[in-house]
Order: sequence, then C-alpha cells, then structure tokens
Amino acid sequence: MRGAKLLLPSLSVIVFLVITACSRLFSNESSLPASHPEALGEGRVECSECHQDQIRGILKPYDTISHSSEFIKQHRFYAAQNDRLCVSCHAASFCNDCHANELEIKPSIKLGNRPDRELIHRGNYLTLHKIDGKIDPASCYKCHGRTNNEQCIVCHK
Amino acid sequence: MKKALCYLALTVVTLSSYASADDWSVYSTTLLGIEQRAVPGFADQTMAPAIQFFGADLNKLGDSNISMHMYGWGRVDLADKSTNEGRTDGDLTYAYMDYRLPRANGEIKGGRFFINEGVANEQIDGVSAKADLNKNFTLSMFGGAPVKLDWTKNNKGDYIAGGRTSYRLAGILELGVSGLYEGEVTLDTATGKKGNRPMVGGDIWFSPHRTVEVAGHTFYNVFTGGVAENSYLLSFKPLKVVTVTGVYNDQRFKDYFTFSNIHSLFNPFNGGETKSYGGGVTFVISRPFEITADYRHYKRISDVNTDNNGNSDRYGVEARLTLLDKRLRSGLAYHRSDGASGFNGYDEVRGFCLYEISHYVGSIDAIGQFYRHSIYNRGNAFEVIASAGYHILPELALSGDISYGQNPQFDDDLRGLLRLTYTINSKTADKGVKK
Repeated sequence: MRGAKLLLPSLSVIVFLVITACSRLFSNESSLPASHPEALGEGRVECSECHQDQIRGILKPYDTISHSSEFIKQHRFYAAQNDRLCVSCHAASFCNDCHANELEIKPSIKLGNRPDRELIHRGNYLTLHKIDGKIDPASCYKCHGRTNNEQCIVCHK
Repeated sequence: MKKALCYLALTVVTLSSYASADDWSVYSTTLLGIEQRAVPGFADQTMAPAIQFFGADLNKLGDSNISMHMYGWGRVDLADKSTNEGRTDGDLTYAYMDYRLPRANGEIKGGRFFINEGVANEQIDGVSAKADLNKNFTLSMFGGAPVKLDWTKNNKGDYIAGGRTSYRLAGILELGVSGLYEGEVTLDTATGKKGNRPMVGGDIWFSPHRTVEVAGHTFYNVFTGGVAENSYLLSFKPLKVVTVTGVYNDQRFKDYFTFSNIHSLFNPFNGGETKSYGGGVTFVISRPFEITADYRHYKRISDVNTDNNGNSDRYGVEARLTLLDKRLRSGLAYHRSDGASGFNGYDEVRGFCLYEISHYVGSIDAIGQFYRHSIYNRGNAFEVIASAGYHILPELALSGDISYGQNPQFDDDLRGLLRLTYTINSKTADKGVKK
C-alpha cells in the first residue's frame, strides 16, 4: 500500500526528468552558487551595497531582496518564488527557527540572545493570542492551522 | 524508540559521510532551561528541560553536485514534565539528499524536507525536482507523504503531490501557477469523514518601473469551489532611503480553514472572513538609523457569531539604530492593537540593545503590554530578558539568559536558560558560510 502511495510522486519526478531531458528544455544558464562566495557578517545584509543590476537565475533586481524591515515581514512572497536564492546564504535550519512542522520552543526563547532578530510572539503571547486571534484568526492559521499545533490542542481540543 | 533509532541511524550515516565530503558544516545548540512554578492549590513544579538541536550539511559529495543535509532536535525533562507531551520528545525536521545540476538551477531532492512553492508550503517525506527552462520558464514538481504530527495519526493526508510553473520577464515580471493534491485528509474529526485536498494558486511579481513592485498570490480551494486567500503587497521606493508599502489580505474561512486539523479552533463550517489592508513607511534617516511606521485595518465578518464581527486597527512605529560596524544593534518600538468594540485591545512597548565586543556579547530586551480591559484581574504584563555570552573558542559559545516577568498567568515568572552553541565547518573564515 505504501509502495502504491509512493508511485504517484515517483512517476511525477520520472515524467519531469524525461520531459526536460528529452526535449532539451533546460536553460543553458549556469546555476546560482550553492553558497555566497564571501562571508556575510551578523545582522541584516543590504545586497545592493555590493551588487547592482539583476540577480542571475531569478531575474529580479538586487534591491528587491535587500533585507529591510518590510522585506523581512513580507518575505513569504519572495521565498515562495525564489527559494533557490534564499539557500545561497541561509541554511535551511535558519528558516526552521520559526517555520517547522514541530517547534519545541518559541523562537524568541531559543534565540533569547538575539533580540535584533524579527521574531514573532515576544513577551507573554499566551495572553495576547486571545486578542490577536479574535481580530484575525487567519494570521494564526498560517503556522498553526495544519502544523506546529501540539500546544494548541491542549486547550482547543 | 523507533524514532530514536531513526535519528541514531541518520546521525551515523551523516558522520560517516565526512570521510568523502571536503565541504561540510556541523552546528549544534544545547539549551538547558530552568523554571519554577507555584500555583495556589497545586503542587509546586520545577522544570528543567534539556533540548539538543543538531544539524549538518555535507556538500560536494560524489561528483561535487551532491549534498546531504539534516537537522532535528530532542528533549529530555530532567525534572517535572515541561510540556503536555512525554518526558522525552524529538523531531527530525529535515534530512535529505540534494543533487544540484551545474546549469538551469536544476535540483533533485529526496528525503524529508520543506516544500515552499506557490500554494504549497509543506513538510514531506518524498522527492522533488525543479529547473529553469528555456524562454524564461521554470518548472518544479514534488510528491510524497505529508509529515504528520505526534498527537494523532489522522492530522494529515496519506500522500501529497504538486508543482509550480512560472514565466519571467527579466526585471519586470514573474507569473506563477501552482497546485497541490493531498489525498485522504480528515475533513471532520467528529465523524472521521475523509476527502482530498486540491488547491491551486497563482502568484505574481510585477515591477513596471524600478521604483514600484507588486507581489502577491491568490489561492483557490477546488474542493469547496471558492477563493481561499488573496494576499498582495505593493512597494514604492521613491528614494533610496524611503520605502512605502501597501498590503491587502482577504481570507474566506469556509475555503481557507477547510483542511485544518484542529476543527474546534479553525471551524470552517462556521464560515466568515477577514479582510485587512494597510501599509507602512520605512525611512533610513542615515545608514545606521531606520524608522518604520505601519498601519493595518482588519474587518472580521462572522456568519455565525455576530460578537466576532468588528473593525480593528493595529498601528505603531519602530526605530532601529545599528552602530560600530553592526556590533551594536538596538531598537525601540510602540504598537497599539485597537480591537473592535466587543474585543479587547492593548498597547505594546519594546526596547532592546545588543552589543558584541571581542569574545563577549550581551543583550537586554524589555517588553511591556497594557490591556484595554483587564485579563484575570491584571491590566498589564511585562518581561525583561538579559543575556550574556562568551566565545570560548571561535566555534564554541556559551551564553545564558535570565528573564523575569509578570503577567495574567503568573504573578512572578522567573526563568533561566543556558545555551551552548557549537558551529564548525571546513571553510576558512573569509569564505561564505551560511547563516
């Protein structure tokens, strides 16, 4: 039965490879580097300090992904289109500080030594979630609707 | 036990792969927390959870295009239980092999990993493949089994597959279409009724002028036949130092909450929706000083409980000051959540400062929240976290946090945390190491 369930994804990948390989559909452009060639310091980076023009591979200006406060708050739009660029500088574990199927502790506790990072649910959020959740329950759903809700079911059975 | 053996096997495989990897990094964070709780009418509790996070990246395996990545955590309660789960717990967040093609940003993954492609935002055990195609098209596909949560076996479907394709016009446009199909999802926990989860989405990035960008997406629930979410962002950068943004979000609960695995909380049968719009202005007064003001208006409409109808606002301002080549990072923020007449509201004030010098790093972070209507007879909450750290070696850092607060749940909330961070990699200091 499990084999049958894996048949669909396996077939999908095989079809993908056959289609692209056989019909020479791949772009000839070289891939983005697996990691940033120079060390990046702590804190937010401003890509356009060093880079101009547009980013090879995603065809957007460097200024688009400069890490301003607003970019960090809205990064989901960019990550959903350009995650191959994110992984050039960020290990997947960086994203998993907040985005995970099961988070053991609040990001702001795990990273209590990094108050400069833009982390949600700081302070006594156990109380505040009753207010924020009533104003906009959809904001809770993004992270807790289908994942990371083992603490939620303690009260919301 | 089975889970522990899987972790052990993965760790052994990972560590044994070092022999053939000449580009690798290993990172570990050990947290030891201590907390005492004294609640009238209940026995006093002392909690001391020890949590170990461990990750490894092994790059340039085989023909140099293969890499392996893993990350996970485990917890042991050294005193009273710290959560509502067992005294030990753990999770394998990801563990996958990755083959990167030298051109076309081609990539094939297999194992446990996250998918973030348009409408799909999932953790799966499976495979994925993606590549840039000719004429500025892209294609990605994935399939496998959704990773379930511990609390029941019926919180995710049995299998999932999907993909995304997009077209790009250099510097001007990206248009994407994505879809996913998850089979055998529990739609009603009370009756155990199951169904499938078909979702499709469209996403856009559009820059008609170098100062203007629009990004966003619309997700459509094929099962209910309705638009689940519209979410769009408009950015305008009239000057290098000024960014003006506008946001619009609209979620229709019947379509948005359909596949939640906590129906008592996100009840799609109750219907309703939330619409929100607003914007922000960021002004970089000089390179180290940045100030951001933001406003968001929320309109909630309930189909069942009219007490939940209402218009709410959230607005505020944040200032950040970064000096001494980023070794000093500080900020001050004020926000007000002005809930609708039947809701509560609050003001929030926060200030922080972090300073690094030589092998030492210290920070202080204070936050206060002041409720419009008292909660459990208390009108406010506050928390102060002081942290100090020392780099014993370049790869090894020890830090400790002490936090104290008062809130509606606890008259006194005193916690301590010790953190040992170990990061080692094969690269020299001037080479790029991922954050």
